[in-house]
Amino acid sequence: MVVSVSAGKIRQHISAIASGFLGDWLEARGNGLAVPMTVFAGGKVLDADNPELAEPGSTLCLSLHGLMELESVWDFPGRAKEHYGSQLARALGDTSALKLRFNSGRPIYRNGQDLADLMERLVVDWPVPVKRVILLGHSMGGLLVRSACYYGSAKGHSWVGKSLDCVYIGSPHDGSWLAIGAHKAAGKLNKVPRDYVKVVGEVIDLRSEGIRNLSRGEVFEPGTEEQPLLSGARHFAVSGLLVKSERHPVNVWFGDALVHRSSAHGVRRQGWELTGKVNFPGVDHVRLARHPIVSKQLQEWLV
Amino acid sequence: MTDTNNNLQWWLGLADVLGHGVQHGAAQLKRVHLSVADEAFQVLDTIPVTRPASRIVRAFHHGISTLSYDSVSLAGRAAVGLAGVTSSTGVASRTDDESMNKS
Repeated sequence: MVVSVSAGKIRQHISAIASGFLGDWLEARGNGLAVPMTVFAGGKVLDADNPELAEPGSTLCLSLHGLMELESVWDFPGRAKEHYGSQLARALGDTSALKLRFNSGRPIYRNGQDLADLMERLVVDWPVPVKRVILLGHSMGGLLVRSACYYGSAKGHSWVGKSLDCVYIGSPHDGSWLAIGAHKAAGKLNKVPRDYVKVVGEVIDLRSEGIRNLSRGEVFEPGTEEQPLLSGARHFAVSGLLVKSERHPVNVWFGDALVHRSSAHGVRRQGWELTGKVNFPGVDHVRLARHPIVSKQLQEWLV
Repeated sequence: MTDTNNNLQWWLGLADVLGHGVQHGAAQLKRVHLSVADEAFQVLDTIPVTRPASRIVRAFHHGISTLSYDSVSLAGRAAVGLAGVTSSTGVASRTDDESMNKS
């Protein structure tokens, strides 16, 4: 089988990875690799201020990718334009499946603020009255959903008052073990009085604010108190595990490869009331974004 | 912004990142190289017989190494300058050095 990847795709992936690692720094420098926040409908860029679609639905289903990813992470392998959003749109009818691309290295709260504003513009300018909003967030995308809900509510946006469903897929609400490990390792290495050890710590410390936020699942501006899940909305959490046997040591150590089940379900968060939560042993972190078993669960919850 | 302009901005952005990588990478490698070498020189310095020679060798070693790494670092800096990416907040010099090495 010949796999051809266009130069444009490679460039997009380089931008996504560079933005994930150094997105805040790239943005501050006005660097052309920084990914701007963009909405896509059917693979085409959608102008949030003047959304023009052939058949706009009264339900918006927006999919948000994770750290260093692109919106293409949602696409089922070998099935062009097939993703959870498009499958939900088909099952629900009168639904527009949208995808978001964003700079995942920026602090999550800043992306959350921008997403809240973008959602408001989108809903207000949508060609037909919007009745329902579904937000699907993979990994960091789920944290971004929580952040946007908080800032949308704080700003009195109309979109948070719609029938709102938030799905967090493999999202590290209590932090990711890898981000936590990087944070601790950098701290320890920086204290060693040897330059050649300190350098390793400093290299680890190059990570972006977005990655730093993942170590504790921080989604609000520093100084903001912990906020509960948005009331009036339904919230669902999906987690995965590397190995099918739930209690396998690999699962205990690594969860879905990056996120533990407890973190994906926000076990340590105060006062959380999830409408539904599910765990899929044998489905790893990336495949959670495009797995038939997850799709089936979403249909059960949302259709 | 046109496609051509976007294209150019992307390549300039890549050159900027690579230039910074070379600049800061060389500086960090220099620190690793010199600090590892110092471990050996410190041992030689404690031995009276080897002390005078090791001090001379250390001075040459560190001088030549510093010159080499600084040349590479300078080339990276030049690449950043040629890429001409400017800070949108006007604090490029701060973000260059502090944001790249935040703790």
